[in-house]
Amino acid sequence: MIGNFLRLGIRQMNVQLRMRVLSLWSLALFFTQPAIFSAIGMLLARAVGNTRPDLVYTVLGAGIMGMWSGLVFTSTYDIRADRREGTLELIVGSPTPLRRVVGFRSLLNILAGSTSMLAAVAAALFIFDYSFSGINIPGVVISFSLLLLALWCMGIFLANILAWSRLSGTFVDLLEMPIALLCGFMYPISVLPAWMQQISAVFPIRWGLETLQDALKGSLIDSALVNKWLIALGVSFVYYLLARWFDRKVHDHIRITGELHSI
Amino acid sequence: MLTSTNDRAIETHSLVKTFHTKHGFLTRTTRSTEAVRGITFHVNKGELFGLLGPNGAGKTTTVKMLSTLLIPTSGSIHIFGQDILQHTRDIRKHIGFTFGGAHGLYGRLTAIENLRYFAELYALPPRETHNRIRELLELVGLRDRGNDRVETYSSGMQQRLHLARVLLHDPELIFLDEPTVGIDPVGARELRSTIKLLKNQGKTILLTTHYMAEADELCDRLAIINHGQIIAMDSPSSLKSKLTSDAFVELKTSGENLPSVKNVLAQLDPDSEVTYNQHAFVWEVNIRTRQPGVVMELLAPLLSSNLIQTLGVRNQTMEDVYVSIIQNGGA
Repeated sequence: MIGNFLRLGIRQMNVQLRMRVLSLWSLALFFTQPAIFSAIGMLLARAVGNTRPDLVYTVLGAGIMGMWSGLVFTSTYDIRADRREGTLELIVGSPTPLRRVVGFRSLLNILAGSTSMLAAVAAALFIFDYSFSGINIPGVVISFSLLLLALWCMGIFLANILAWSRLSGTFVDLLEMPIALLCGFMYPISVLPAWMQQISAVFPIRWGLETLQDALKGSLIDSALVNKWLIALGVSFVYYLLARWFDRKVHDHIRITGELHSI
Repeated sequence: MLTSTNDRAIETHSLVKTFHTKHGFLTRTTRSTEAVRGITFHVNKGELFGLLGPNGAGKTTTVKMLSTLLIPTSGSIHIFGQDILQHTRDIRKHIGFTFGGAHGLYGRLTAIENLRYFAELYALPPRETHNRIRELLELVGLRDRGNDRVETYSSGMQQRLHLARVLLHDPELIFLDEPTVGIDPVGARELRSTIKLLKNQGKTILLTTHYMAEADELCDRLAIINHGQIIAMDSPSSLKSKLTSDAFVELKTSGENLPSVKNVLAQLDPDSEVTYNQHAFVWEVNIRTRQPGVVMELLAPLLSSNLIQTLGVRNQTMEDVYVSIIQNGGA
C-alpha cells in the first residue's frame, strides 16, 4: 500500500519534472522572478540612500515571490495542459484519485520553485555581500518547512479551482499578485492597514512567511513564534480539508459539465 | 473481476445527457443541448458491439458516460451489474478506454515512460509492469520504438500506443472510440486484427467508428445512433437483410453521353432509385433496384456501343444500409 503510494509519487514527480519543470520557460520563471524583484528592491534602496536592499524583505522576499509565482504558473499550466492534451480525462478515468496526482505534482512544483529561494540566497551572498550570521537556524528550518506546507496546501486547493472549469485558470492567475501583496512577501505585514492584515490571516502562506522572516531576523523560539507556527499549521490544515472537500465536488462537477477536455 | 448476476457487460436504460452552457455577461442565458436522448441498450459479455452514427450523433458522449467520464443527466448505467454512479472507482479498475486522435499521451516522454506512468495510475505491480509493457509494445508493433519520444510518432503509431495503454491493466471491458481514425490502410488492418484477437480472448468491446466496412467486419451487433437516439440495432447481416433486398447497378459515363443513359433509365420501374454524381468529366450513376438483371439488360446495348464506360452490379453494403437508415430516420 505504502509502496504503491510512493511509486505513484515518484512516477508523478518524474513525469512532472520531465514534462513541465525541465523547460527553459519554467527555469527562466524560477530565476527571473527573484532577479526582477531583487533589482526593484535594489533601486528602491538606492532611492532612499541605502547601498543595499533589505535582506529579509527584499532579497529573500524576492525568492519567496519566485516560489509563489512558480507554484501558481506551473499549477495553472499543468491542468490546462492536461485538459488540452487529453490526459486529464485519462487521469480522472483511472482508479487513482485526481487529488493524489495533483498532490504530488504540487509538491514537485514547490520543490522546483525553491530554486528561486536558492537564487535569492546566492544573490544575497555573492551580489549583495550579506552574511547570514545571527539567524535562528532551527527556527528558519521549521519556518521554511511550514512555508512549504502552506504553499502545498494552497497549491492543491488552487488546483481544484483550476480543474473546475476551462476558464478558471484566468481567475487563479488573477489571484497571484493580490495574495503576494496581502501576505507581505516583500515587506513586514504590519505596514498593511488593519483590515488587510485581517484578510491576509486566512492565507497560511502569510503565517509561514512571517515566522520565516522572524527567524531570519534572529528571533528566539519563544511563545510568540510557536503560536505563529501553530497558526500556520492550523490554517494549512484547513486548506487541506477544504481541498479534500472541494476535490469531491470537482470530480462530480467536471463530469456533469463535460469540461474534462478542451473543445 | 466484477461480479455480475447476468451475462450483460453493459446495460443502459433511458440514458439522457444534456449539456448546459451559459452565454452573455450581464444577462446570463443558459442554452441546453441534448446530446443523448433516452438510449437503452445492452452489450453481452464477450461481445463486440458497434456504435455508428454521423458526427454529433451522441456516440462519444455515450462512450464517455459508459466509461465514467460523464455523469448522465438521467437514466441508468450498469457495468457488469454494478451501478456506475455508486461503484465508479471499482468499475474504473475493470474498464479501459481510448478516444480517437493524437490526444492522451505525453509527447515529451517515450512510449515506455508513458505506459509506466499509466501503469502506476492503475496500480500495476512493478514486477508485472515491465513484462506487460514489453508484451503490449510487441502486440501493437512498437517494440523497436519503445524508447523514442511519442512526439516523434506518426498518428497511426500514437493510435497503436493508445491501444497498448488501454490494455495495460488487462481490462475486461474496452471502449474504443474511432480507433482507426487517421491510420493508413495497412495500419488500420493491423489494428482490426488486434481488436479481433482481443475479442477472441473474451474481452467485451464497444467500438465507435465512421468506417462501415470496419463495423461490418468486426461487430457482432451494432446500433446506429442519430440525434442522440438509437434508430436501429441488430447484427450487421440482419440489418442488411431486414432493410431491403435491393442491389445496386453502377455505371460510369461521360457528360456527352449522359442524356442517352437518362433516356434508357426513364424506362425503369418507379421503385428504382437513381442518383447521379459528377467527378470531373465522368458521371457516376447509381441505380438502386430490386431487379438488377432487368436493369443490366436495358443498359447492355449502351455498353456495347461505348456510350457507357463501366457497368457492374454489387450487393448492398453496410454503408448503403447506414445511409438509408440515417436518411429515413430508422430501420
